[in-house]
Amino acid sequence: MNWRGSLPLFRGGRSRLVPLGLLLLAALLLGYLDDTPLASLRNAQFDHYQRLMPRQRTNEPAIVVAIDSAGIEKYGPWPWPRTLLAQLVERLHAAGAKSIGLDLLLVEPDQYSREMLTKRLPDLPASSRDLLPDPDRTLATALAGAPTVLAVSGIVRPLPGARFPNKPLPDFRIAPAAESSMTRYASSLTSLPLLARAAHGEGVINAAPDRLTSPRDRGVLRRVPSVAVIDFVPLLSLPLEMARQSLGQNAVVAAESGAQGMERIRIGDHSLPVQPNGEILLYFGRPSSHYYLSAADVLAGNFLPDTFPGRFVFIGITTTGLQDRVITPLGDNLPGVDIHVQALESLLSGEALQRPVWMPRLELAVLVLSGLLLIFVIPSLQPRYAALVFLTGIGATVGGGYLAFRGGLYLFDGASVALLLSPIFIALLSNTLIAADRRRQQAETDLQASREAAARVAGELDAARRIQMGLLPDPGRAFIGETRFELAALLEPARAVGGDYYDCFALDERRLCLAIGDVSGKGLPASLFMAVSKTLTGALTRRNRDLGQALREVESELNRENPEFLFVTAFVAVLDADSGDLDYVCAGHDAPLLLRAGRIGRLDTQANSGPPLCALGDYPYGAAHTRLQAGDILCLFTDGASEASNGDAFYGSERLAATLAATAGEQSLAARLEALRDDIRRFEAGTQAHDDLTLLLLKFSGR
Amino acid sequence: MQLTSRPHPGATVLVAAERIDQASAGEFLAALQAELKQHDPAAAPVVIDFAGVDYISSVGLRALMVIAREIKAGKGKIGIAALQPLVREVFGIARFDLVIPCFDSVEDAIAKLST
Repeated sequence: MNWRGSLPLFRGGRSRLVPLGLLLLAALLLGYLDDTPLASLRNAQFDHYQRLMPRQRTNEPAIVVAIDSAGIEKYGPWPWPRTLLAQLVERLHAAGAKSIGLDLLLVEPDQYSREMLTKRLPDLPASSRDLLPDPDRTLATALAGAPTVLAVSGIVRPLPGARFPNKPLPDFRIAPAAESSMTRYASSLTSLPLLARAAHGEGVINAAPDRLTSPRDRGVLRRVPSVAVIDFVPLLSLPLEMARQSLGQNAVVAAESGAQGMERIRIGDHSLPVQPNGEILLYFGRPSSHYYLSAADVLAGNFLPDTFPGRFVFIGITTTGLQDRVITPLGDNLPGVDIHVQALESLLSGEALQRPVWMPRLELAVLVLSGLLLIFVIPSLQPRYAALVFLTGIGATVGGGYLAFRGGLYLFDGASVALLLSPIFIALLSNTLIAADRRRQQAETDLQASREAAARVAGELDAARRIQMGLLPDPGRAFIGETRFELAALLEPARAVGGDYYDCFALDERRLCLAIGDVSGKGLPASLFMAVSKTLTGALTRRNRDLGQALREVESELNRENPEFLFVTAFVAVLDADSGDLDYVCAGHDAPLLLRAGRIGRLDTQANSGPPLCALGDYPYGAAHTRLQAGDILCLFTDGASEASNGDAFYGSERLAATLAATAGEQSLAARLEALRDDIRRFEAGTQAHDDLTLLLLKFSGR
Repeated sequence: MQLTSRPHPGATVLVAAERIDQASAGEFLAALQAELKQHDPAAAPVVIDFAGVDYISSVGLRALMVIAREIKAGKGKIGIAALQPLVREVFGIARFDLVIPCFDSVEDAIAKLST
């Protein structure tokens, strides 16, 4: 059994193995795409979704109070005295801020705290020291008096001065199985315990930009943690902790999780899709400066009364040289504090990008199914349709990605799938083109061969035609000097060779033999039978004085070997050129026309005619007799003349007779023959002749 | 060319129609031979109804001759009935009525061939 032929997979032979191998490679590559340079393409694709369809920012629930250059100019360099910060917090609280988040790490005590001054001035008397104000305590008081959240920065390895957070999440509900997948930090940097204890909460501010996978990648920030574990204690991110605070102490924080880890995070009624490790794929909106306010203006009271009530406030540094800046997928270069605003807005509107754990499996399925489809369909298509199918598939895959984003903020990587399908398509198309080229070359070879064969056959047929026509006597040259009678004959085969024949020869000084025959069928088989019939008729007529006996012997000889069951109609006559006596015998042939004194008639063959030679095989043919008169013209013809057709009707023996009578004006017998032939051909009006045309004219003049 | 068979208690009646010429003679012969495989010509005479045949060429006559020989070899009888004038003329010229008997009507053919 031919296994290659039996399995459709291998019908294309090795031509399908290469694309299948490429598909396997593509599937492997897709599984580890994030470790390859193709990750840049994937991220670029996802970023493009956001650029085309950024998050609409309808309201501005948060405001940034920026420690900017104006503030630095007015209140001196950073770090500002804690008393100034306390003043800011108090001012914001008084203005109606819903929650105040400090995107600052106040790790060291204030420069003018008793502790620092004692270090710097060891000689300061204790009494004087106790009189000094304590700025940290002032800030702690302010923090305690307002809904405030401080920042915590998770660190992987403990550093000198690392501290653990003071205000962990009171209650975080998560399935134990999913807990292990959460983002973890061994330790953290936090504000002074004094401050941290005073604030209402603490939130993580880590937001590491993506790894640089290519030199051109600028470290775009695409994801931030929603919740992280610091030394076994869960902590929300700064903006999410602020949202939780605003909902009151009863707001439940819970994670929805699956087998791979977290799927969504819930804070009260708010909910966001997250990655298994708890990271939010941020859906960015276009940046705006509307919600930025200088801390200097806030401290000076330069703001409208409706600026703060009901809004979340982030205090962050934006001045050049101190701030951290991030690059977003939209291509914007923003202060780090803006990320908190975006995350908070995302939570409030419930919008974040989704790339669930099943999405890579879906991409793999699309890749494999599309690849298999290409592998089975492309080889049977013409190259242009193959390209059409491929481009349609690519369009559907990439377009599907945009639709999935538009419909549900799903991140489907159509571009990578399309890119990985390309080598498969190219390999398939190459096979198709190679096969097409091979076919074309084969076709050319075949055409050349068939041309050569046709030329050979034509040459052989041409030779056969020359031989066949050579068998026929030329009456014009055979009887030069003969005055008792005149002869003219023609034979025009419908094909290269034909099955008609005529003959005319002198048996002796007085007797002339005439013969005409028509083999059933046409072409080469008929022509061979014709040659045998003519030769036999000639030979046996010469041998026998009795025409009937001659024909019976001809039939007997022909019948001896006739596997094709061909038969031949024939008319044979012997004329006594001196007396005009005519003996004739007819085997199923048309009765010859007789033109006598301008009147047309037919030779009477009815009484003696038998069936065609070889139709019965043993018919007792007998001869009839008549006598020609001087001036008589005898016309022998085959059905090529009587059944010549113009597509609608036959020429007919009546019309042949009338035309023969009408040619009386012609100079010679040969000219009358030409006139007859021309009239028949005119009647056919260019339609292909169906049968061989044979005409033989005898004019008897007598002595 | 068309060839159909018509049920008849005493004979195998085949109905031929249209032209039997160079183009259709081979098909005509094959159809006749197929019919004769189903109906044993030795058991009942075969009559070909030629009423619908407009034209027959010498190649068509050859097909009839081949069939006639086959049937006669099998001790059966065959006849042709109801020939149109033009076709009858062809049969007359070629004296093919000597090869296959011709009759005026199918019933006439059956009556005479059954004796």
